Parts: sequence; structure tokens; C-alpha cells
Amino acid sequence: MKPSPEKKFRFYVFGFYLLLFVIWQALFSLRIIPDYLFPSPLQVGWRLWELGNDGMLWPSIKATLVRMAIGFSIAAGIGLVIGMPMGMSRVVNSCLKSLFLGLQTLPSAAWVPISLLIFGLSDSGIYFVVIMSSVAAVAIATSDGILHIPPIYLRAARTLGTPGYAMPFRVILPAALPRVVTGVKLGWTLGWHGAVSAELIKSSIGLGYLLYWGRELNDAAQVLGIMVLTILFGLLLDRFLFGQIEHRIRRRWGLLTSA
Amino acid sequence: MTQNSASVPATAESAVAAAPVKLRLANVAKTFENAGQNVEALKPINLEIREGEYVVLFGPSGCGKSTLLNLVAGFEEPTSGEITLEGRRVTRPGHDRLMMFQEHALFPWLKVIDNVVYGLGWRPGYRFRPRLRRQKARELLKLMHLEEFARSPIHELSGGMKQRAALARALAPDPKVLLIDEPFPALDALVRARLYGELQDILVRTRKTIVSVTHDPREAACLGDRVIVFTGRPGSIKTEIKVDLPRPRDINDPQVAGYAGKIAALLEEGQRETIPGEKV
Repeated sequence: MKPSPEKKFRFYVFGFYLLLFVIWQALFSLRIIPDYLFPSPLQVGWRLWELGNDGMLWPSIKATLVRMAIGFSIAAGIGLVIGMPMGMSRVVNSCLKSLFLGLQTLPSAAWVPISLLIFGLSDSGIYFVVIMSSVAAVAIATSDGILHIPPIYLRAARTLGTPGYAMPFRVILPAALPRVVTGVKLGWTLGWHGAVSAELIKSSIGLGYLLYWGRELNDAAQVLGIMVLTILFGLLLDRFLFGQIEHRIRRRWGLLTSA
Repeated sequence: MTQNSASVPATAESAVAAAPVKLRLANVAKTFENAGQNVEALKPINLEIREGEYVVLFGPSGCGKSTLLNLVAGFEEPTSGEITLEGRRVTRPGHDRLMMFQEHALFPWLKVIDNVVYGLGWRPGYRFRPRLRRQKARELLKLMHLEEFARSPIHELSGGMKQRAALARALAPDPKVLLIDEPFPALDALVRARLYGELQDILVRTRKTIVSVTHDPREAACLGDRVIVFTGRPGSIKTEIKVDLPRPRDINDPQVAGYAGKIAALLEEGQRETIPGEKV
């Protein structure tokens, strides 16, 4: 197998990040901005270490991940259930697609006020924000995936005698899977935005809460540290969990060019 | 009428001649509508295909032979005329007229054996008997020399193996007529020659009725009992040639090449008639 370009250049990538940290540290050392506003990478790392020792960090990371796992599972389920009829009926697609594209332009954080009004300060409000942020992406990707199924699969299914009632789950959904997974990946990212945004305002635990609390304490090191962690976990799940699943499916479906 | 006869005549030749008509095309014509204009794809076609016969539809590209196959498969409806299988009118796709495509069209979300099992799931005798389905699929994979790859995902098979798996999948529901749209075009000559051999082997063993489409005269001569030669657009039957050679035939056999030459000559003659001024 050919090594992927990312693997080939990983030393450069490593060097790039090292350089980034060096520049950050250098800017800090110049003291242009006061250090309580612009902490050094070491201060940020130290603050995260402290948070970890205080038993604040892990429960918060876990809380956000659990909220995402539950909320996003529900969202993916709803997205599939709405996306399938969209993909199979042009009428349903025309009606719902514009609506969902519209909803997708809404920033995740814009769902927070309405969720506060409906659910108050309860956890269900966070789930609501996660679901509303990600459902549209999954639904649109599912319908697009179905609309782009190579016709040969549908013809083969019909000539093999597949009855109409069996088509959606035995043929249509599996044939659309590569694009559906791409949508699920995007939906996860949007849901992640939603979860952290909601936690900023209405939680007492979670990465978003630690951000909010860091601001309350005027602790720039904590704010920056949690931001870095949020990026890290988002990236980790996107690249390694969903990215891997996507890659495997694309290879199996014969969609990778270097096969 | 056209019921299965129980008598088994002595030679293969007389068997086909005496066999009941399996598939009957009566005045089947097709006109497509394209941007408000009617385009005639097929002039009325009359054709009878007997049980156990291998009929090749041969003609230049765009002559409507693939359209005809689609009509028989039930993917499209004829503009006029009627197609009957064992006396029953064809209206929609089904596994009694199973079609094999130019691409293998195996389902990538299923393992090799599950692809073969798939079509059996909708057959009355197999419907609620998963063990029987697997057993039958295993037999077919064995016939295709694929039993070691039963549990492999599709993308791990070579091109020839994929086509053999597709053939196993097509044979599994025991179709009354097997329709093949350009058998194995994407494969190299060596693999193809072997697949032609295997196809004939199955033909001899199961006495399956097969209709296939090709524009390769050698392939037509190698596979067909009868070769139906089409004229260019709009398609109509120009003539037919009986290939009177014993099976299995080798595509490189001089006698096959002789028939192929005859068939090719007919095609060129047709082109001279329909497209005057074009180089041959």
C-alpha cells in the first residue's frame, strides 16, 4: 500500500506545530500583551495539569462526550429517518431540502436561547441544541447519498427480484452509505459546536462550562487550554473515529482511486 | 401451449429444435421520447427463443440490441408489441428473467456468499430457509471455483473473479432466462476466454436459456447457438445465423473464427447500406 501523503509528511507536520509553539512562546516572551491576557504555552499546559489534578478536567471531558454520544445518536437516527424519504421522493426532497439548508446556515449557538426558554437549565436543553445543530447535515447527506446511488445497484436489485418493501433497508440505504457517513461526520462536527456552545451557558460540567468558568475567573490560560482540548477531541474523533469508518467504507465500495 | 416438455431428445441439436418456445417477442417496438422528439430505437421485432437455446443479439453499437434486452428484463416497456415468457406477459423486472450487467454490479456491502444468497431470499422455496439458501450458494461458488472466497468482501476479488461471482449470483435464483448485457467487456482476453468456457460449461450442465448482447463477432460465434444480426439505428433484425459447432467451443478455434468472419461481413454489409459514404 502507498503511504498517504499525511503519513509521508508527518515530520514536517510535527515540525510545523513545534514552530507554532515556538512562535507562541516567542510572542509571549516579547511581552507585547500582558501575560494575564496572553499566557505562554507552558502556562496553559500547567493550568490544564492543575485542572486535571483537581479532578475537574476528566469529568468535564467525559460529560461532554457522553452528551455528544447520546445526543448525536438521536440526531443521526432522526436524520436518517427524515433523509430516506427525502432521497426517495422528489416532492419530499424539494420541500425539505430548502428548509434544512436554511437551518444549516443557523449557527449552533443560535439554538441556545430557544433551548433555554423551552428546557430551562436542564441537560435536555443541551441535547436539544446538539440534535438541532446536526440533524440537518445528516438528513441532507442521506438524501444526497440516495439520489447519487449508481443506478446499476438498483437495477441489479430489481432483476434479482427484490420486492419494493425490502428496497429501502436492503439496498437503498447500504448503497448510499459512503455519502451518508460523510454527512454523519459533518453532523458530528456541527453537534460538537452545539454541545460546547450550550454548555457555555447552561451547565455545571463539561468543556463549555470550563471555558465559561475560566472567563469568570479571568483565567486566560484555562480558556486557551480548554479551547485547545476542544479542538483536540473534535479532531481526534473526526479524523480517527469517523475518518476511519469513512475510509473503510469507501474502500469497500470501491470508491478509492488508489485501489 | 408452451409448457415444459418432459421428453429428452437424443442430441443437443434436435433438443433445441424440439424444445418449447421459452421467450416470444411479437412485434416488439420501442420509441424513446427525447427533448420532445420521438426517436425510434427498435422497429417491430419478432423472435422466438426456445428452451435451452443460447441466442446472441449482435449488431453495431446503438442498434437497439441492449434496449431489446432491457425490454425483456422488464426495465422498460415496449411502445408496442408483446413479450411473453412461457406464455405469460412480461411487465416488470424479476428473477425469472435475470439480467447480468456489463459491470459486475455485486453489492459491496455484502460478502461474496451473501451476494449469491441475496437473490434466493425472495424465492418462495427459499424464503424462510436460510440454511438451504447458504447451501445452494456454496454449491454455486464451488461451480465457479470461488469457494475459498465465500467470506471475502467484493473489493478483494480480481475482475474475473467478480464476474464469476456475478454469474453465481445470477444463477442462484434459477432464472428461466438469463440475460447478459455484453459479457465481461472489462476483462483481458485471457480471462475472458476462460469465462466463455465456464459459461458454456454451465450451459451444457443446466441447459439454461440465455440471451446475450455483443458487438464482438468472435464472442457471438463462440457463445451462440443462433446469432441474430441487427441493422443500425433504428434496429431491426437483418438476418440470423445458426452456429452449428459442438460445445464447448474455444474462441480461438478456426471454425469459430470462420463463423465470426461471416458474422462480421454481415455487419459491414449492413453498415454500407445504412451509412453510405462512411469508411468501412
